[in-house]
Amino acid sequence: MIRRLLLLVAVLAMVAAACGGDGAEETTTTTADGGGQTATEGVYAEVVARDVLNCGVNNEVFGFGSIDADGNFAGFDIDYCKAVAAAVLGDSSKVEYKALTAQQRFTALQSGEIDVLIRNTTWTASRDGAEGGTFLTTTFYDGQGMMVKSDSGINSLEDMANTTVCVQSGTTTELNLADRFAAGGLTFTPLTFDSNDELRPAFVADQCDGWTSDKSQLAAFRAQNPESDGGPEAWTILPETFSKEPLGPMVLDGDSQWAQAVNWTVFATIQAEEFGLDSGNVESYSGDDPNVLKFLGQPSGDPPTVTDPGLGLPTDFAVKVISQVGNYEEIYNRNVGPDTPLGLVRGVNDLWTRGGLLYAPPYR
Amino acid sequence: MAVTTDTTAGTGRPPFWRDVKVLRIAAQVLAGVGTVALILYLGRNLTTNLTAANIPTDFEFLKQPAGVNVTGSDFRPSQPISDIILLGIKNTAALSVVGIPLLTILGTLIGIARLSNNWLVRKAATVYVETLRNIPPLLVIIFTNAAVILSLPRMQDAVTPGNLFVISNRFLAIPWATAGDNSGTYLAVLGVGILASIVVWIWRTRNFDATGTPHHRFAWGTATFVLFAIVGFFSLGKPFSLSRPEVIDGRIIEGGYQTVGPYIAVLLALVIYTASHVAEIVRGSIQAVAKGQTEAANALALSSFQRLRFVVLPQAFRIAIPPLINQFLNFTKNTSLSIAIGYAEITLVVFQAIGNAKPAPQLILILMGAYLLFSLTVSFVINLLNRRLQLVTN
Repeated sequence: MIRRLLLLVAVLAMVAAACGGDGAEETTTTTADGGGQTATEGVYAEVVARDVLNCGVNNEVFGFGSIDADGNFAGFDIDYCKAVAAAVLGDSSKVEYKALTAQQRFTALQSGEIDVLIRNTTWTASRDGAEGGTFLTTTFYDGQGMMVKSDSGINSLEDMANTTVCVQSGTTTELNLADRFAAGGLTFTPLTFDSNDELRPAFVADQCDGWTSDKSQLAAFRAQNPESDGGPEAWTILPETFSKEPLGPMVLDGDSQWAQAVNWTVFATIQAEEFGLDSGNVESYSGDDPNVLKFLGQPSGDPPTVTDPGLGLPTDFAVKVISQVGNYEEIYNRNVGPDTPLGLVRGVNDLWTRGGLLYAPPYR
Repeated sequence: MAVTTDTTAGTGRPPFWRDVKVLRIAAQVLAGVGTVALILYLGRNLTTNLTAANIPTDFEFLKQPAGVNVTGSDFRPSQPISDIILLGIKNTAALSVVGIPLLTILGTLIGIARLSNNWLVRKAATVYVETLRNIPPLLVIIFTNAAVILSLPRMQDAVTPGNLFVISNRFLAIPWATAGDNSGTYLAVLGVGILASIVVWIWRTRNFDATGTPHHRFAWGTATFVLFAIVGFFSLGKPFSLSRPEVIDGRIIEGGYQTVGPYIAVLLALVIYTASHVAEIVRGSIQAVAKGQTEAANALALSSFQRLRFVVLPQAFRIAIPPLINQFLNFTKNTSLSIAIGYAEITLVVFQAIGNAKPAPQLILILMGAYLLFSLTVSFVINLLNRRLQLVTN
């Protein structure tokens, strides 16, 4: 019921946004010679004027986006919302979180209800094309997996002929599932749910044999399985990974300044790890590496000048992001790393210098 | 005062700007034009904005493959979006067609129980009505699913009473007939059988009207039909055979007629929920039948069943039908809550498509159209009945 209402509100908001002045102009911002000067229109200016970032997030995936015991949003994606707020507004606490289901998220972005969507959303061509959004730098390289009960006797996908599989509707995993089983010549029955909260009891009650989702999400739910249901050991994630799921922030098409701001916030966390900067040492950096000085917005060169690459962000945005939220490694280890219940090793989510996929363009 | 002369004085009609008839029509035309203009303006704005954001505004996406499988159907991912929408409509109809008769029967029984002379029956019915009527239907559905369906045995340990039924929390199945040779012919024979039994029914009724001998038209009609059914069945060489559901590997069911757990959960939940509203309508309608009718029935020494069946209920239903339509419509609309437990009705499949990068405004429009279609169909059917039941006063 709530979900339907929210959607209705979203559609109405879209109509309302259309009424308020010439909507077509609102969605396109001047992209030429946008260098340096303060933005006067577009999402960036709106966020600055509002002094709070509306961030679309998940509230039911532990480790990525969930509500902790104190009632605060916490997780990997949440930290990136904070990072964007720190970069743009200078304060990582100026975030208004909007919890969205998989099905609501794109409508919320299209209607302007949120400024940026950071909700373990997979970058795909049709989403990039038909949802009117732009995907930015991937923050987490994920892949789809299948979780089964440990005592089910299922050891690989090939054992899953004629099974019932629980899946969240309106997700890429739903589409991959159909493709993967068709490719393997296996028939199955899907059981689709609107949210993971509704899916979980069905899996617990054996209404389905398998639960498919991004492996990181499966790991999160497995880690959280209470002892009364057998604990994490009662559930097994099959070794197969049957899709690429690059997860990252998404913004509305046609506002390149805002897209750049979010993009470089993500790059800053990656670049900081590469430079060896973290929340502990970034503010006290005393070295003379010109690349680091440029990155931190400190004077460098001769005569000493502050580099402004013209992204529209404050020149010291990286300091704000790293000191308040941390570099990529800190964000990763705090939320999903080996010392957390999820216990995910870095794998491909490591710096390019260590053989991973994280690679930030040079900041100059 | 004296300067202004009323030119219309004497003709009996004021000038058009003060003519109530003209003003009324003008106001309606203005309101109509204004509404249409507003809709056009909003529609144009929406289209402009969607185009600016590169979101398609046409209905071409209906031909794209849906890319998903659907619970409890043999839908293939390569079939287009339009097919999955039709499947959703079919599934919503499957809930309404089965649910509405069930909730009417249950609601009527409870409504009568509310007026029972038996203290226990009366109080039990009151508790039922007051509890369910005050709980949101979504909660009833989730509770029913968790407490009834999910608590059924797992598919691997499915219960199969008498090898005729399969009960599990995933699939439920009942025995069903499978068509063999001559099955089409046999269905035609059954059709003729129904016609024949109607003819017999009418003949018995006329005979009763003319002579007063007991008509026993129900027994006669049924006997005629059964005769056709049995003779046809054996003379056509057993065109239908019984198909028993069978669990394969603890995973799927073969044979019989099967359905999925979420369907039963939604059906059960909404039937018991809506029945609580129907019970109140039935109770109110019975109480609205003039007391003299009951007294007259008692004076004729009718039994309490006869009094209800022949005197009170026929009049009560005449009163009950208009509010009942509302409840039937509510039932149909509430089926959209199945989205919470994964039954693939129209709302679920539409939202699923929206989540899979298909345009939301068009799909929501289709969804609204589908529910409008359902509502109009239900009202149309019940209104036909209503017209038949209304008092003929001429």
